[in-house]
Amino acid sequence: MGARAGRGAANGSGRGAGFAPKRGEEAMAATGGRRCRRLEGETARAVLANVDTLLFDCDGVLWRGEAALSGAPAALGRLAAAGKRLCYVTNNSSRTRVAYTEKLRRLGFPPAEPRHVFGSAFCAARYLRQALPPGAAAYVLGGPALAAELEAAGIPYLGPGPAALPGPAPADWAQAPLEPAVRAVLVGFDEHFSYAKLCQALRYLLRGPDCLLVGTNRDHRLPLEGGSAIPGTGCLVKAVETAAEREAFIVGKPNRYIFDCVASEFDIDPARTIMVGDRLDTDILMGNTCGLTTLLTLTGVSTLEEVRGHQESDCPARQSLVPDYYVDSIADLLPALED
Amino acid sequence: MASCRRLSGAALREVLGSAQGLLFDCDGVLWAGESAVPSAPELLERLQRSGKAALFVSNNSRRSVAELELRFSRLGFRGVRAEHVFSSALCSALFLRQHLLSGGAGDGSAVGRVFVLGGEGLRGEVRDAGLCLVGEGERGAEQVHAVLVGYDDQFTFAKLSQACAYLRDPRCLLVATDPDPWHPLSDGQRTPGTGSLTAAVETASGRKALVVGKPNTYMFDCIVERFGVDPSRTLMVGDRLETDILFGKNCSLSTILTLTGVSRLEEALAYMASDSAAAKDMVPNYYVNSIADLIPGLDE
Repeated sequence: MGARAGRGAANGSGRGAGFAPKRGEEAMAATGGRRCRRLEGETARAVLANVDTLLFDCDGVLWRGEAALSGAPAALGRLAAAGKRLCYVTNNSSRTRVAYTEKLRRLGFPPAEPRHVFGSAFCAARYLRQALPPGAAAYVLGGPALAAELEAAGIPYLGPGPAALPGPAPADWAQAPLEPAVRAVLVGFDEHFSYAKLCQALRYLLRGPDCLLVGTNRDHRLPLEGGSAIPGTGCLVKAVETAAEREAFIVGKPNRYIFDCVASEFDIDPARTIMVGDRLDTDILMGNTCGLTTLLTLTGVSTLEEVRGHQESDCPARQSLVPDYYVDSIADLLPALED
Repeated sequence: MASCRRLSGAALREVLGSAQGLLFDCDGVLWAGESAVPSAPELLERLQRSGKAALFVSNNSRRSVAELELRFSRLGFRGVRAEHVFSSALCSALFLRQHLLSGGAGDGSAVGRVFVLGGEGLRGEVRDAGLCLVGEGERGAEQVHAVLVGYDDQFTFAKLSQACAYLRDPRCLLVATDPDPWHPLSDGQRTPGTGSLTAAVETASGRKALVVGKPNTYMFDCIVERFGVDPSRTLMVGDRLETDILFGKNCSLSTILTLTGVSRLEEALAYMASDSAAAKDMVPNYYVNSIADLIPGLDE
């Protein structure tokens, strides 16, 4: 077929118009910045032909709330059928990996195993397992999913849920006994966040110099269905950091730890991997920093105007927020995946 | 740059001699927890006898000035009246009154509606300033004109969420009583301060708060408006370099650090040795071990 021959020719000549060059920071400096080109037509075919792995953010990319974005399940189905490895990389710390596979299945996406899902809750537990001495526990500002991931990683913890208050006033709370085994404070999404819990976190952090402070992510807002939003984990992390006058180690995007988790589970070649996301300051920044090809979808948070603003700026930090490509929605990949 | 000299002897008599009045921070200066700093009440009495004014400026937004007047009395300080006390609770209420009510709603619309993240003391000051408090969990269409973040030991995720909903309207002000990240407890532990709660609200809303308390100068404006002090004849006495001493510098007051509270002398010396201009602004002119050390500087 003509299309197939076309693809072959592009591959054969190496650096054709649609070929995604290797992305390293030196390469970036040399090419002078990413171009955020629309991914369509021959470019799309060539780019997709040359990747093994696609990493997907979930909220605003695959679904919004409980509704799959139109065409997304079909696009991923085609990618899977074409032999691509699909992984899911999300900052949302409110679900376990198993819960994500359930949601993917429920919304019609190709079957995924827990090992393909990298949520910030799972990765935070992973990090603590590496960073804590055996038997050390974590004081957790977070919900049941974070607790479940810690349990699965064999890390003792306390804290989730409403604060258990030994009295009505802060003076009482400051007298409650501290658990001697705690050597880390972990901050994730916590709808039971309160001043009392913030107090406890501060007490643990000040008790010893080697108490770790870890945050799942810095997202400042969690979008809800219908366009509204609630405060994100980033707000809680900032409250703890301010009170403790120290910086947290952040596991989630745009920091690279979450990508390192993916790379340690699978044989990832950054030059043959695409990061697909809807947020410039998390998904795209992480992808660019880790040397991946980055694809912005416009079905979520970030807009093309923002991208153009960053492209036109002189600031190198803002340049790192520019993706290689964009699509209106990942359904736009379907034509490139037709046989 | 200030030189952080120990204040005693002839220098002490000279500095106090030429001062018309002193501004005192409270926590860590006059008292620590429920105990007055030894001889602090005597110092205030001696100041009064010497004809020098004593005014009080505190970032603590927990108590109304009426409650603070009672506290002074309970801890052994005599003659301190509510009108001498400038707390961040009072000044935040004054600030909001100035910004929300001065326009005069010619259309007869509701008086300034404020969502307060704070305790009864703070809420009372806002009410006394003639503003209207928005209830927790209130879900109406009526506009909220300001969110005020203070020391709130009942702070919750739900309240954070409610505040952010109001702040989506760019006309809604975001105000914080003070920037303090933590406060010391009597046993050496620390309790989170308004600064940490404000950081959460700022992050969620993408807005920067207007901070009323020290080191910003608004509270000094309130003092000048009520008592007309001359900065060149007024001393600022405090225990926290980042708030009290910087406040003094910002208001062109000479500053005295007392070591009975938060900051250590080593920290002041470290700021002095630093290259940064911001650090140098936090170096006090003088220091004393406690404000009791000021007594010998006053006439018998």
